[in-house]
Amino acid sequence: MAEIRDFKSGRNPVPPDGAMPRRLAAIVAGDISGYSRLMQLDEEGTHSRVKRIERDLIEPTITEHHGKLVKTTGDGFIAIFDSPVEAVRCSIVIQQNLVGRNASLPKHYWIEYRIGVNLGDVIIETDDVYGDGVNIASRLEGIADPGQVYISGGIYEQIKHKLVCGYESLGDRKVKNITDPVRVYRVLPDPAAFNRTRKRRESILLFLLSLALLIIAGGSLWYMLLQPHGEVGKQASAPVSPPAEMPSAPSLPAPAVRPATPQPAPATQQAARQPQPAPGATPAPSVASAVREPEMNTIRAGIFTMGSNDDVTEKPTHQVTIKPFAISKYPISVRDWNECAAAKACAFAATGKDDAPVTNVSWTDAKQFVAWLAGATRKAYRLPSEAEWEYAARGGTQTKYWWGDQFQSGMANCKNCNDIAVAEQPIKVGSFKPNPFGLYDMGGGVDQWVEDCWHKNYQGAPADGSAWVEPECASHVIRSGSWKNDARYARPSNRDSYDTNVRYPTHGFRVALSP
Amino acid sequence: MKIARLIALSAVVTCLSFAAYAQGKPAPKDALLYFVWPQDGAVIKGGFWCRFGLRNMGVTHAGDHFQNSGHHHLLIDVNEPLDPNEPIPQDKSHLHYGAGQTEARIELPPGKHTLQLVLGDANHYPFNPPVVSNKITVTIK
Repeated sequence: MAEIRDFKSGRNPVPPDGAMPRRLAAIVAGDISGYSRLMQLDEEGTHSRVKRIERDLIEPTITEHHGKLVKTTGDGFIAIFDSPVEAVRCSIVIQQNLVGRNASLPKHYWIEYRIGVNLGDVIIETDDVYGDGVNIASRLEGIADPGQVYISGGIYEQIKHKLVCGYESLGDRKVKNITDPVRVYRVLPDPAAFNRTRKRRESILLFLLSLALLIIAGGSLWYMLLQPHGEVGKQASAPVSPPAEMPSAPSLPAPAVRPATPQPAPATQQAARQPQPAPGATPAPSVASAVREPEMNTIRAGIFTMGSNDDVTEKPTHQVTIKPFAISKYPISVRDWNECAAAKACAFAATGKDDAPVTNVSWTDAKQFVAWLAGATRKAYRLPSEAEWEYAARGGTQTKYWWGDQFQSGMANCKNCNDIAVAEQPIKVGSFKPNPFGLYDMGGGVDQWVEDCWHKNYQGAPADGSAWVEPECASHVIRSGSWKNDARYARPSNRDSYDTNVRYPTHGFRVALSP
Repeated sequence: MKIARLIALSAVVTCLSFAAYAQGKPAPKDALLYFVWPQDGAVIKGGFWCRFGLRNMGVTHAGDHFQNSGHHHLLIDVNEPLDPNEPIPQDKSHLHYGAGQTEARIELPPGKHTLQLVLGDANHYPFNPPVVSNKITVTIK
């Protein structure tokens, strides 16, 4: 890392009139991972091995690819190339040769380079090279895994159609002391050629983690900046925690008295829609009343058997206790979604009919919507947990479908279950019969995201109806099946998974509300 | 007048490019999708890591409209032909790897199964011509 400080200090003393020889170059920065550890292990041996690698491999490979070795440091090197393709090709050759050299040695003696390649306008001097571009190459090298080549977006754009190998996007990375985030790609030489084990998975996790963090950070920043009343933005997080003085609280004791049939809906909605009894002076109540809330049905507390024996993912069946909550009567519609888009709190404006369910939303998109809704209404809107979803979908039944064990045509919007033309899909929400809890489209229609991370079965699932989550999970649970899936997918116990940050044309969601 | 014509032209071009997004993005003729592992006919005990290979194209996140790049889909025991005018289905036999994954842990019940890879574009449509791997058969013990 010592060389980085060099480059930085190199930025400062630029003589104002000096004619610096500048040029565009592909900069390759490499360094040995765990150099100090190797030196501790065997100082002289490591030193001579590193020198041999530099002499036999690095220098000739760079020359072969028409590059120039600018300098070597104790544990690394900097080279410049006229051509990005040659720069990346050279890096791959070095990495693949090192794999061969290490193969005969025990793992803790391996000399593994990390390499970063960037395209930049740099200042060239006889024995060094300066500029932002060099710093970025060093930073890329710093975040690369041992044995890997990371390239910047600039290099990727130049080589993507010219160099035969895979590139994995690692997203935009913020690197130390560089203002703008750098788009990073990992080069995958022939996938069969290189040795990857856990590192691969770690890097995916890291990528998803940074992506999720970026999205969350971006989303919250966006929300705070663009919310018309700054005060509301600040209070947005408050309703998410268990509320103390929630205005919807009065609606809670009510369902305990009422039967759990479709009828309770109108009454609860009215309760839920009443303007907040807060002091009228603050601008917040006007914001709250401006947002049209989804119709919610209150669901009473209960105990049910979750899962089934119809599929490995639905086993083992287990008892779950559900606390009272409310869930939207329909999947979120295009109209609902576009209010969030208009408030610039959701990432895109949905197309399609107003009363059709919104589709092509990722889990992250759905979370943005509920965060906006919760903030704008100051109510604890959220995604339902997987257990809540199944409890609501079963509507108090324990059969394969909520209407019985046999499929009946015309009960759900699934593939080959009705005669709706493909062109009309997805048809408007609430086109089929509601279940005993008065909920529409719980099975068929659109797939629906829930809060839970994906787990391949219920081994170790919580029994208290809460969402089963770990931080930053790569995939989440979808429920309900869609109009493109057959009747088996419309079962209330059916479950499937999808990548957290990926949109798909049949994926939608519905919202829940804690009392 | 000239400006108006330019605006009209750019509008047309934009529409065309949007139409092109819809489906059937062109793929290079020499694009090759293949299984790094397992091989055709492999006999496997328990779960396994399935590794996807792609040549002459790049792997990217679903939703990214980069040229000559797409994301993997693994089709398990699928016999229906691929519909080039529809997004690749999403269900328990059409697994999606839209985060740009190039390998996946697969667990299948014992017996013979077929596996096939299909590359999808930003909107999950197959390319034109479709970039698909050979359909391989594996046996789970």
